[in-house]
Amino acid sequence: MSIGVPTGIKWGFVSCEACGLLTKPVNVHEPGHCPRCGGKLELRRYNTIQRTWALIIAATICYIPANVMPVMVTSTLTSVEEDTIISGAVLLYKYGSWHLALIVLIASVMIPLAKLAALAYLLITVQRNSIKDQRERTRLYRLVEFVGRWSMLDIFVVTFVVALIQLQPLMSVKPGLGSLFFASVVVLTMIAAETFDSRLIWDSSNCKEEQND
Amino acid sequence: MTEKIDLDNIPEAAIVPKKRMRFSVVWIIPIVAALVAIGIAVQRILSEGPTITIVFKAAEGVEAGKTFVKYNDVNIGEVKTVRLSADFTKVVVTAKIDKSAEGLIVEDAEFWVEKPRVTLSGVSGIGTLLTGNFIGLKMGKSKQPRHNFIGRDVPPAITIDQPGRTFILQADNLGSVGIGSPLYYRRLNVGQVIGYDLAGDGKSLHIKIFVHAPYDKYVTNETRFWEASGIDVTMGASGINVDTQSVVSMLVGGIAFETPSLMKELKPADANAAFPLFRSRATAMAEHETVITPYVLYFNESLLGLSVGAPVTYRGLTVGEVTTVGLEYDPAKEFIQPRVDIQLYPARFMAHVKKSAALDEQARSESGRHAFMQKLIDKGVRAQLRSGNILTGQLYVAFDNFRGVPKVKIDWTKTPAELPVMPSGLEDLKTKINDVLAKIDKIPLDAIGEDMKKLLTGLDGMVKRVDREVLPELKTTLEALKHVLKSTDATLVGKDAPAQQEMREALQEVRRAAQAISGLVDYLERNPDALIRGKTQEKSK
Amino acid sequence: MSSFIENVVACPGCDLLQRIPVLPPGGKARCPRCGHMMAANKPDSLERTLALAVAAAITLVVANTTPLMGISVVGRHVSTTILGGVLEMWLEGQEITALLVAFCVMVAPTVYIGLMIVILLAVRHSPAPSWTGFLLRMLDLSQPWGMAEVMMLGILVALIKIAEMATLFLGAGIFAVGALIVLIAAMMASFDHNEVWKRIRWADEKSHKMTASAEMADMGG
Repeated sequence: MSIGVPTGIKWGFVSCEACGLLTKPVNVHEPGHCPRCGGKLELRRYNTIQRTWALIIAATICYIPANVMPVMVTSTLTSVEEDTIISGAVLLYKYGSWHLALIVLIASVMIPLAKLAALAYLLITVQRNSIKDQRERTRLYRLVEFVGRWSMLDIFVVTFVVALIQLQPLMSVKPGLGSLFFASVVVLTMIAAETFDSRLIWDSSNCKEEQND
Repeated sequence: MTEKIDLDNIPEAAIVPKKRMRFSVVWIIPIVAALVAIGIAVQRILSEGPTITIVFKAAEGVEAGKTFVKYNDVNIGEVKTVRLSADFTKVVVTAKIDKSAEGLIVEDAEFWVEKPRVTLSGVSGIGTLLTGNFIGLKMGKSKQPRHNFIGRDVPPAITIDQPGRTFILQADNLGSVGIGSPLYYRRLNVGQVIGYDLAGDGKSLHIKIFVHAPYDKYVTNETRFWEASGIDVTMGASGINVDTQSVVSMLVGGIAFETPSLMKELKPADANAAFPLFRSRATAMAEHETVITPYVLYFNESLLGLSVGAPVTYRGLTVGEVTTVGLEYDPAKEFIQPRVDIQLYPARFMAHVKKSAALDEQARSESGRHAFMQKLIDKGVRAQLRSGNILTGQLYVAFDNFRGVPKVKIDWTKTPAELPVMPSGLEDLKTKINDVLAKIDKIPLDAIGEDMKKLLTGLDGMVKRVDREVLPELKTTLEALKHVLKSTDATLVGKDAPAQQEMREALQEVRRAAQAISGLVDYLERNPDALIRGKTQEKSK
Repeated sequence: MSSFIENVVACPGCDLLQRIPVLPPGGKARCPRCGHMMAANKPDSLERTLALAVAAAITLVVANTTPLMGISVVGRHVSTTILGGVLEMWLEGQEITALLVAFCVMVAPTVYIGLMIVILLAVRHSPAPSWTGFLLRMLDLSQPWGMAEVMMLGILVALIKIAEMATLFLGAGIFAVGALIVLIAAMMASFDHNEVWKRIRWADEKSHKMTASAEMADMGG
């Protein structure tokens, strides 16, 4: 029997997610608490595939009102205008700041979509036990983790525009419901990245090895 | 002799153990951060001005963190909190004042809420529609600092440090004047009413007014003040007269003043000098006409409609008034004749003439006036009764130039002197009207009525004939017409009729034009926003 | 009772078991299979990180109490702090978004910096009590939620939007936020988890006493 690649799961070791200590519990599926840091030990993140799917779907549902409902309502002496994220970016472009429009579009529209797509892709490949491109997929996961928070950009833009432009009756800005949905999308995808266990990508190789044996 | 170099016995250098640094270099970072933070905090504490509380009855538009305190249009502080007083009747506002303005917060400083107001003295505070309400401050003179104030309900009327003078006006009643009512000189707003109270005996009112510099020098000891409030509408022999100083005075009342021109020895009035307040310009300027020349006129016609006070005009301008209307028995002629006493005011006469020093001089002396009057009479000026108003039947006395009148010499020995008159021709008008009425009376209406009847019966017969003979003819003509119409149908009404085609094209043109106009209107609608939103509108086009 | 292994770890990215070699100062170690950063030798980690954390704490206070910026247009002036922005969102009816923003830019960085200071101070008297381990776990949880740099970019976008129509005044607060971002990033770079774990009293001291050499023999084959 070839040893193959030594992984914790194969040899019955549980790695503490908080402090990194390797323990060999009596029952891998009920490893108890880490002796060093006291944190709860688990072989893999709890119920990772189901939870991540649920969060992704919830985030996708929120994504639609996030882009359709206005995030900012601007009232001037003559008019009341509602702006969604996209129409806000279009306005920025029209007024000459195409670079800002690009930043807003990337951060607020493309990144959340890309995150959702990437996580869905990761989940699907894991569920199909694919062993292709494992290193790349792990890199993709790290990228998703890192980049996720930048989607909160538009929320901060809205917050500070609202805080400053309070000049009734000349002009005043109020936040719209779209900002709440948008914030939910960001938060949900951030938590989804937390619940997904990237080790699953590599667990498929273990299955393959066992098959080959 | 060389010594053997013994390398083994060279002492060893003592090892200095690496001192474990208590503080590594990296601690500079937090130290710098702490210094900067302390610097910021200290600077804020040092630039802290005083915090004051102001109690208002109402503080509309005052918001914590947003409303400013302004002096002379400069922000000197900000409102921190707005809350109700303990008994819920007042509003307590706390404000933080800049250190630089600390010196203004003294014992007798006054605060009020500046907001749009339409008051007696006009409209104020409209600017706050743009900038938001703010709390205004009027500087006090004391040096004693103070931190708790009671706010005013209305802005203070004037500031202490404005140059000018106060005067007192005496009046029977307040009329339409109130605190803040504007003061006009030659229709310029030069001051305002700042207060009033009853005289000690309660029989009259003392109204205090303030005239701004440099206009206060136009208030002389002979200046007349009158109420210029509202609209002065008088209906008299001269017709309906509407007089108003300004729209504001129409709304909120006002007082105007003027110095009569023909006064000698004018000197600026003392501060707090007292003047009577007249009800109208006429009474104000008229009352103390010091130069009054009475004359008498004997008219040989009805005086019905001439009332005391009716104007005496020369060429349409008022130069005097009627003082008595009555009858006089002339013993010489054994005749009762109508007699009208008038008063002429040379001042007014002269005032309407272009100013000339010679004329003024003449007016001042009695002989000069007599000579002037004689000259006029020689030129043909006579008095005449005229109708001022056909509706009311009011008459007035007019002096006017007449041609071909015999020369008359005024007898100055009689007092009052008599001036020659001209018959008015009003009687003629009356007779003329009577004649017309009589003529109408004579028209034979009965005979005309008979003729009319005959005419109508003839017409009746004619109509019957039409029915019998003309109508069938008409019918055939109509049939022919129908034919013609059918053929035109094809050319005009048919779907592809060329005329219709043209019409349709015309309609399309109109529609296109309408669309273009609506597009233009849309664009114009969006334009004002671009002013607020950004100046790059043109660039992106 | 479970046993443990020291000196061998499983990669958090791909679960590969590996040994961490002795690293030169400033050196790093990556997982050979998936590239996950396993360990780094950060010289003077505890001292440096503590200094940076103290500086960050001071900067955090300044950033939250001084106005970030102000605008002036048609004679009206408005200025705001971070808390002011949160409050305005709350007052406009977006309570949940306001709480979220408050959490990401006020609570999370405060928790991160505060925990860091406590942990580092506790560890100076080795061995630190076991609740330090709990705090360290909390620290790791709070780290991804500190979004001061995202807020900074958001403020910049907002300012550029506003600069078209009003005059801008930058306050001390915004420079403090900039400094805070730099300091937190430096903290994260210089903090070495392992140094702390080495100095903590184990939650389960009894297991600590057990040796692991028997397991090592098992694996070596």
